[in-house]
Amino acid sequence: MCDGDAKICTLEEEIAELRRLLRDKEECLRALKIEKTLRNKFSGDLDRDEVVRYSRQLLIPEVGVDGQVALKKGKVLIIGIGGLGCPASLYLASAGVGELTLVDNDVVEISNLHRQVLHDESTVGIPKVLSACEKLKKINPNIKLIPKQLHANSETVKLLLEENQFDVVIDGSDNVATRYLLNDACVLNGVPLVSGSALQFEGQLTVYNYKGGPCYRCLFPTPPPPETVTSCGDGGVLGPVPGMIGVLQALETIKILTKSEGVVAGRLMTFDGADLTFRNIKLRPRSATCAVCGDNPTVKELIDYEQFCGSRADDKVHNISILGADEQIKPDKLDERLLIVDVRPELEYRMCHLPNSVNIPYSKIQSGKALDAIAESLNRNGQEVYVLCRRGNDSQRAIAALKPHLPGVKLINIKGGLHSYSKLVDDHFPVY
Amino acid sequence: MSISVKILFFAKAKELSGLKESQITLPETVSYKQLLQDVVNKYNLKPIEKNIIIALNQEFSEADKIFKLEESDIIAVIPPLSGG
Ligand SMILES: [Zn+2]
Repeated sequence: MCDGDAKICTLEEEIAELRRLLRDKEECLRALKIEKTLRNKFSGDLDRDEVVRYSRQLLIPEVGVDGQVALKKGKVLIIGIGGLGCPASLYLASAGVGELTLVDNDVVEISNLHRQVLHDESTVGIPKVLSACEKLKKINPNIKLIPKQLHANSETVKLLLEENQFDVVIDGSDNVATRYLLNDACVLNGVPLVSGSALQFEGQLTVYNYKGGPCYRCLFPTPPPPETVTSCGDGGVLGPVPGMIGVLQALETIKILTKSEGVVAGRLMTFDGADLTFRNIKLRPRSATCAVCGDNPTVKELIDYEQFCGSRADDKVHNISILGADEQIKPDKLDERLLIVDVRPELEYRMCHLPNSVNIPYSKIQSGKALDAIAESLNRNGQEVYVLCRRGNDSQRAIAALKPHLPGVKLINIKGGLHSYSKLVDDHFPVY
Repeated sequence: MSISVKILFFAKAKELSGLKESQITLPETVSYKQLLQDVVNKYNLKPIEKNIIIALNQEFSEADKIFKLEESDIIAVIPPLSGG
């Protein structure tokens, strides 16, 4: 723990003690304030505005005044203010959950707007957490909103959970490493984790680490090989699908805060928007051999999750470089007379492509089928051929695969792909 | 004795197998391990074999389990989704 000199050790202990003290006092102050504002001569535990504003949910016997007070006292941490976090925080803010901490490191992009319903054209380029809080404040000014523009990693999440007593954590993240990180952090701090995920037409929802139910690691002890994981940026996602799951994350959070029955813990709900089917899979109980929540845990503090998963804790694509300098060209140096082979999937080629290009999907090259025919078709077109894709990675892989079959042709990678083309040559070309 | 049961594929399992559902022939009495191996081999799921939930009739299957299958049984292969 502290292996420096005694002074560092003492200071660290003092600071930890002060943090505890601060947290206790803040709690105490909050409780007093809530008590003070709650009392009024007409409506007891809720003030006039609250009775009116929340009347439609107060009327539900399972909620009632006690439930509403529980929501008001609730502190929820939401990681990821995207397709899941937007609808989740929207409904939690509207329902009057007392304190929402929103975490996301990204700024709003135009390609977010089809599903991330708190953001709009006017907030493109602004941090998502600020865009979201601005919108939520307009809907309900009576709750405390804490925007945190930061990357969720072991250090930041550890600090957040040390300094706050969250009742629920919502996982609205977009990558595997963050999912393991939040799972472990919630197990170590005894907080239920409302986990949602979505891709294309499918969604999944469950609550981990709740009332003896399993955690993420109980079900998936080993992370998936990175190349088997598809992100929304590559596989696509239909807006209402994360919308659906995010709304249900809000619902489950409300049920946990109000101590209601029927929380989706110990079971996994899968949703398929393509044929509108919901399934509930009964899960195993907590695993005695789980690395983090088992009887003899080996994970006793947060680890390096990027290393554990072998992948970065975001959904961005990271560039590879497997070709020599003489096999690459920048998009602004292209010879327009030469053939360009665009190796993106046909679907993406149809979305947008350069006029002087032909489409031979990398998946086709990768499958190894008809390689000779592909090689032959390229051979006719002269001695140099450009290879192009979305970001300049698959094009390199395609060249590596094709090279042995095309000894007489020089294959040249267009560096940075169409993203780079748009930046350096013609920004009318859509960046997606 | 062998038996044919329905099998459903979700998320990456659907992508790798190229199927949303299928029929699979298995021994009437089959261990979890055998079932997993058969499913992984038949449907091209090797890359994610360590990252899937196998559910029988909407219930998570423990790794030490032995199943007595019936024709009406439904197996589901569910990898986690991570996008959002
Ligand atoms: Zn566990």
